[in-house]
Amino acid sequence: MLFSRRLMLGLAMAGSMAGALTFPALAGEGPTEIDLFFPVPVDGKLARDMGTLIKEFNETHPAIKATAVYTGSYDDTLIKTRASIKAGKPPAAVIMSANFLLDMQIENELTNLDSLIAADGTTKDQFLGQFFPALQGNAVINRSVYGVPFHNSTPLLYINADKAKEAGLDPNKPPQTWAELTDWAKKLTKREGDKVTQWGIAIPCAYDYCGWMMETLTMSNGGRYYNEEFGGEVYYDTPSMLGALTWWNDLVAKHKVHPPGATPGPAVSTSFISGNAAMMMLSTGSLTYVRDNAKFAYKVAFIPRNVRNAVPIGGASLIVPAGQEADKQKAAWTLIKWMTSPEKSGWWSRATGYFAPNIAAYKTPEMVDFLGKNPDAKTAVEQLDVAKPWFATYKTVPVRKNLEDEVMLVLNGKKQPKEALVAAQKAADETLKPYNAETSLKLP
Amino acid sequence: MKLIDALWKDAPLATRGEITPKLGFLLTVLLAIVWLIPFLWMGVATLRPASDGINAMAELMPSLKPTLDNIRDAWEIGDFPRYTLNTTIICTGILLVQFFTITLAGFAFARLNFAGKTLIFYLFLMQLMLVPVLLIVPNLKLVAQLGLYDTLAGVMMPFFASAFGTFLMRQAFEAIPTELEDAALIDGASLFQRIRHIYVPLSMPSFSAFAIISVTSHWNDFLWPLMVINSPDKRPLTVGLSVFTKTAEGTQAWGTIAAGTLMVIAPLLVTFLIFQKRFISSFVTSGIK
Repeated sequence: MLFSRRLMLGLAMAGSMAGALTFPALAGEGPTEIDLFFPVPVDGKLARDMGTLIKEFNETHPAIKATAVYTGSYDDTLIKTRASIKAGKPPAAVIMSANFLLDMQIENELTNLDSLIAADGTTKDQFLGQFFPALQGNAVINRSVYGVPFHNSTPLLYINADKAKEAGLDPNKPPQTWAELTDWAKKLTKREGDKVTQWGIAIPCAYDYCGWMMETLTMSNGGRYYNEEFGGEVYYDTPSMLGALTWWNDLVAKHKVHPPGATPGPAVSTSFISGNAAMMMLSTGSLTYVRDNAKFAYKVAFIPRNVRNAVPIGGASLIVPAGQEADKQKAAWTLIKWMTSPEKSGWWSRATGYFAPNIAAYKTPEMVDFLGKNPDAKTAVEQLDVAKPWFATYKTVPVRKNLEDEVMLVLNGKKQPKEALVAAQKAADETLKPYNAETSLKLP
Repeated sequence: MKLIDALWKDAPLATRGEITPKLGFLLTVLLAIVWLIPFLWMGVATLRPASDGINAMAELMPSLKPTLDNIRDAWEIGDFPRYTLNTTIICTGILLVQFFTITLAGFAFARLNFAGKTLIFYLFLMQLMLVPVLLIVPNLKLVAQLGLYDTLAGVMMPFFASAFGTFLMRQAFEAIPTELEDAALIDGASLFQRIRHIYVPLSMPSFSAFAIISVTSHWNDFLWPLMVINSPDKRPLTVGLSVFTKTAEGTQAWGTIAAGTLMVIAPLLVTFLIFQKRFISSFVTSGIK
């Protein structure tokens, strides 16, 4: 007995010594290091907020060391991600503009997340059930999950309530149709002779934003911008888009209630804040900025309709690029789940103005409290009932620019809507040709 | 008006007394003022407190209560000393290697005779027509294969040879009389001695013109460093600055942007002010205007 006890003790000691010897070696391997690429779609201070978020993740997950790598605009982030995949150095996770997912999936640049979801013991439906249904169109491709919604937006109509009252309009009954909006814009435009001192409405048109606003107007005009089920078709030369562009152009050229030319988003929000524009159409992502800077009462409302109420989704999803090692993939998955949890998703939403894609975020006490104080943050969420996926095709960026270049020409008074849309359709068809040749036109 | 008078005295002698040159001179002064406005605005916006409101942001009149808040904000968002150091390393590193490569290549095209010289020279010049964005993926692949991904050396590498620089040096060397080289040859100077003691010293203006172009273009380069660099502590100034200027859906804090921009251009601006005379004369003598 004694002998065997001694033996066991010795074995235990040897074991612990061996443990002590091997343990440092294990610790020496350190945590799994992963990179997260992130664009900054909003105010630069949010780059600091992103740093805070990742720091908190690293402190609560000692086995993983994540680094947040800033990667420019949404478009720059796509270029950098693609280049790093081709160079064999893909990051573990990327916050990617939601409408690039289809294009990346076509090019085999995305990791199918189904197996990671299955490994957690949940089903796809349970996993996707956490998020607003309107967001799934940009995250699910051919019934497989490729992206996890992180921060999302819808366009909103922002109204300067003080100026509306001044003009005899009731800001509690915002315009609901294009006809009413045109009427409001006329009443809110102030002129001194030929010079406009206050614009009725401003809608941004710069790369990326311009295509999104065209999709918004086309959808509320009853139309579709692209084929939601197939990446090879866009509907630029259609009556619904012609109506949308003509109305936008009429605000500029005919009614003269919208500043001429293609105005970038920041210029639009700046002129709204300064009182130079009484209304604007802009992303809910700007809501926190407006709340912090507006020195007047403002209202946010649904995008008015001509035919129906409908808006596209905007914002970004988390993806795992193809070609990543299994352990880094797992670490990225842990990070993605953490970032899209109700608490973190809600925190980011309150900091930015984007809405939280996770439905449960709106049941957290912080969020209930926040919405009580800021009811304007509810509008984008309510508008989700009529929201549809964001434009996504093969070669999303060039196909989008085919339209944006032409829309800018129209707003600058150099082309008529019809000829611009015909030209845009022709250019887009050309861009989409290789994909169609490989798919819909490749007959057995 | 006093300023104009003072400037007038500096005007070249030939321009006094005639009408057309006078008009030209006035136009130059006018253009200079227009050119100066964004700089003035940047300085004013940097010192303007956020409490002045976004309305005042567009005004050139300085605020009554200037503040350093914007500079502090920009300073906190980005590690500017580190970014400046990285950019300086990148620019000087590229330039030093370029001096070496363009001198030898320029000399070869100007003075040596070899088969297919003209053809190779035109191929070289064709590189000037390529948009750099096209080469991002192949360049990045190569940089990664060499183990230089996420390093400053990786940012520099694609620019070590410069088609423009080679062209510029070829033109400069061709303008140097062959008699000088022949004299050195008689004295027994080797090929490298001839380059070092005859061609290089006589082409100094071209070298400095090229240095200015090279440094400013790499100082301002954004996309390529963005592709190569991942680690935050290896970012150059442009990538660091764009954290608060590349907003898509949101809005912009103009005061912080102005402060950040000022920090980015300050080193170049100071260098220009110090070497102003030399910069200008190098462009005049090398024939680039």
